Amino acid sequence: MGPAATLTDAQAERGLVRLARLAPGMALLIGVGAAGKLLEALTDRVAGAHGVRLPHGEYILWAILLGMAISNSVGVPAVARAGVATYEFWLKLGIVLLGAEFLIGDMLHLGGIALVLVAIEIVFSLAFMTMLGRGFGLRPKLVSLLAIGSSVCGVSAILATCGVIGADDEDTSYAIAAILALGAMSLVLFPAIGHALHMSDRAYGLWTGLAVDNTAEATAAGAIYSDAAGRVAVLAKTCRNSMLGFVVLGYALYWGSRGQAQVVTNKAQFLWRKFPKFVLGFLLLSALASVGVFSPAQRDSIRNLSRWAFLLAFAGVGFRTNLRELGRQGARPFVVGTLGEIAIALITLGLVGLAVRVGSL
Amino acid sequence: MSIRTRQISLDTWTVVLALALALLVRTGLLKSVPW
Repeated sequence: MGPAATLTDAQAERGLVRLARLAPGMALLIGVGAAGKLLEALTDRVAGAHGVRLPHGEYILWAILLGMAISNSVGVPAVARAGVATYEFWLKLGIVLLGAEFLIGDMLHLGGIALVLVAIEIVFSLAFMTMLGRGFGLRPKLVSLLAIGSSVCGVSAILATCGVIGADDEDTSYAIAAILALGAMSLVLFPAIGHALHMSDRAYGLWTGLAVDNTAEATAAGAIYSDAAGRVAVLAKTCRNSMLGFVVLGYALYWGSRGQAQVVTNKAQFLWRKFPKFVLGFLLLSALASVGVFSPAQRDSIRNLSRWAFLLAFAGVGFRTNLRELGRQGARPFVVGTLGEIAIALITLGLVGLAVRVGSL
Repeated sequence: MSIRTRQISLDTWTVVLALALALLVRTGLLKSVPW
């Protein structure tokens, strides 16, 4: 008899016991995630009644904050700890499902000029943020997360990368918090700058799609300006998002090679062993979506499944965030993030201005 | 008789579950997922 693929009664029983052990913590993750969604709906309603437009995606912040509040006050109950630790599973599930949202074909709609600008933006952002982070003495993995978050697609990119490079929860929370805080500011600053510079809808939309990190904030910052700008922003942002797999792959290889202190005889085998297989799942879903396996409505459903999975992951990130540890880190990640985002916004503004000047827009 | 079991990694489970969910959506068993 070969390696057993059959499930014995004892194994099935062990599986059920394990599931029962995980249930309380998973219920806690679901509860905190649902509370985050509820708080978002409530704040939206209150803000809407006062004519205030809030950014999409604040449920992320609520879920993280609620998780942090519980873990840093009463603490996570012992019975729930194992289940709370499953957040990484939900994180990876969300990433794989997110693959269906990234189509190679979407990039082509933007044309050659947008692709060139995205490539320049990603290379510049990765290089500049890495240099800045190192200059400020941040931990290497936090630098990687900030660089990826600011160059590709914000929180999604950070979440897609943290599992790959083995970043700890504090680094992940820091990078997410910095990116979210800067994303919220972009909702006010970008439209104001766009109007002050009398930018066209296409130019402004392209700039927003290139410079704002989170897809939700990029879309909102575009739509605040105009519907047309919002559409261009979404297209440009999709172009950036489609690069996520490649950038994550690059960082996975980089950290995979860095993690080996001893001499490795078979590098390919080592990399394969270290390589996170869920990235392949992400690429597989992306490939399936790119060849038209899913209808637009089905892709919407898969994207929503991904969002639900991420919601549990966000709650888990909050639960695992230790404020004392964050306090020891200081304000440097936020300073690095802010300086980096200012530089990226200026560079991408210059690139869009150049494209307008040469008549490409 | 000793049976050598093969452990399925967390990553593999995530891919399997993701593909299963995508299949449910594709076949229409999971018609619409709200958000």
